[in-house]
Amino acid sequence: MGSGRLTRIAAVAANTFRESVRERVFYNLLVFAMLMILSGLLLARLSIRQHEKIIKDVGLASIDVFGLVIALFMGVSLVSKEIERRSLFPLLAKPLRREEFYLGKFAGLALTLATNVAAMTAGLLLTLWATGATPDLRLLQAVFPLVLGHLLVVALALFFSTLSSPTIAAVATLCLVVAGRLSDVVRNARTVLPDAPAWLVEAVYYALPNFRNFDFKDRVAYGEAIPAAALAWVTLYAAVYVGAVLAGGVLAFRRRELH
Amino acid sequence: MNDAALEIQGLAKSFRVGFLGRKTRPVLRGLDLSVRRGEVFGYLGPNGSGKTTTLKILMGLLRPDRGSARVLGEPLESPAWRHRIGFLPEHPYLYDYLTASEYLDYTGRLFGLPAAVRAERARDLLGLLGLTRSASLPLRRFSKGMTQRVGIAQALMNDPELVLLDEPMSGLDPIGRHVVRDLIVDLKGRGKTVFFSTHILSDAETLCDRVALLRSGELLRVGRLDEILSVDVAHMEVLVSGVPAGALERLPGVLRRHAVGERWRLEVEERGLGAVVGAVGTQGGHVLSVQPARQSLEDYFFNEVVASGSLDQAWEAGD
Repeated sequence: MGSGRLTRIAAVAANTFRESVRERVFYNLLVFAMLMILSGLLLARLSIRQHEKIIKDVGLASIDVFGLVIALFMGVSLVSKEIERRSLFPLLAKPLRREEFYLGKFAGLALTLATNVAAMTAGLLLTLWATGATPDLRLLQAVFPLVLGHLLVVALALFFSTLSSPTIAAVATLCLVVAGRLSDVVRNARTVLPDAPAWLVEAVYYALPNFRNFDFKDRVAYGEAIPAAALAWVTLYAAVYVGAVLAGGVLAFRRRELH
Repeated sequence: MNDAALEIQGLAKSFRVGFLGRKTRPVLRGLDLSVRRGEVFGYLGPNGSGKTTTLKILMGLLRPDRGSARVLGEPLESPAWRHRIGFLPEHPYLYDYLTASEYLDYTGRLFGLPAAVRAERARDLLGLLGLTRSASLPLRRFSKGMTQRVGIAQALMNDPELVLLDEPMSGLDPIGRHVVRDLIVDLKGRGKTVFFSTHILSDAETLCDRVALLRSGELLRVGRLDEILSVDVAHMEVLVSGVPAGALERLPGVLRRHAVGERWRLEVEERGLGAVVGAVGTQGGHVLSVQPARQSLEDYFFNEVVASGSLDQAWEAGD
């Protein structure tokens, strides 16, 4: 990829990040901060080990949910809003290719998510420290895979939003996220539907994005160390899946007529 | 060097309409057009005649069903010419969370311009378009006319050789229109090619070296205005005052008369002008002005549209 391409993708990404800041996407951090303060105050009477576990659970679950909501709703509106408002028309007349615009949008939202999650993680560590618990940096072993999962949600939301309306794209993405989080149910579908062909169940199981792969929250909250190999594998899984979905989205976006 | 800034050959486009898009409606029907370097070219037509569709195809926003085009000598599919053109879409929506300066800086980055050049160009263009004092306001606080002027500024950030403007006067007040007219004249003076679509025919008459007239996706006529319009005087327009209405009825050579407040505007046959002027003086009135009336572009356009079909047909296609 040439430096011109990278410069243009970076320009779109930087502008997307600036849009997030100016459109007050980061206001969710206030809600997160309140959650952390309330948790700290309410759990102060419990023993140190109990309240440390609960604050970690609440904190990691909040990071997961807030990240998912931002990824989903910003993801579906990111490109579709530009098409609907025609704000991309003057840009695409410049030396900006459609795939550069698309990837720039993805990168900008990825940066928004990463910044948001970094702020929430810092808030979680600060809460642990303020309530007398040890700020455990091993929490990052749970946070990092969560961010990978959010990036996959963004890629899926972008993909669906280039094919359909933002509402349909949001529903389709949410369905995949729910199905992906219940992937074990899919794998064991033959216990409920014994006539279902085994190959079909296996195919659906492997085709669905397995969001359980990104969930190390419980293990980390219990103080378990996550092996580096497991983190490397989940990173590879995310890279391949996100790459494939982005490639599909770019193809769909390049073919789309912009009325 | 190729003499044409823009060459269009056999460009056709239909839109799918109806349930499941099973019907198609032609919007462009084999358009052939050539725009020379350095000229101001007006692309005229009523709403729905295919002007915007043509520009969208040229900018790669829509794919043509058939036909081809070359921009600044390069094939339409080549990315090379995009560094050398500027484009203003119709009713531009610009990011309202940015200021005008930030928006121009962003578009300059897409051309790979260095920061110092971006800052200088943005400052110059905002000054040229009368937006210096609003440069640091968010675009959501801009009026429609101000947004249009920022849209024109972004089309010029790369100092393009060819500028394509879709309805550049849309939403502008008289001062804004004057500024943009001067800007187009200045661009021509600097050797740039300007291609603009409009249905405001007076702008085209003032600015264009050549025009193309489009109706329902078909080209009616291309040429210089003096080739298209009749140079013969249709009649004389005489503005008079102090003459009773009854006296005007008896004047020979008066084709029509229109009351303009206390005055009368008379349409007079050229050969009867002397008699009418004399008669007005005899009646104790005053001749305030005498002007020859020639066929305007608007007259021509209206006659062509009506002559070659109904008004409904003129508006039938969608832009």
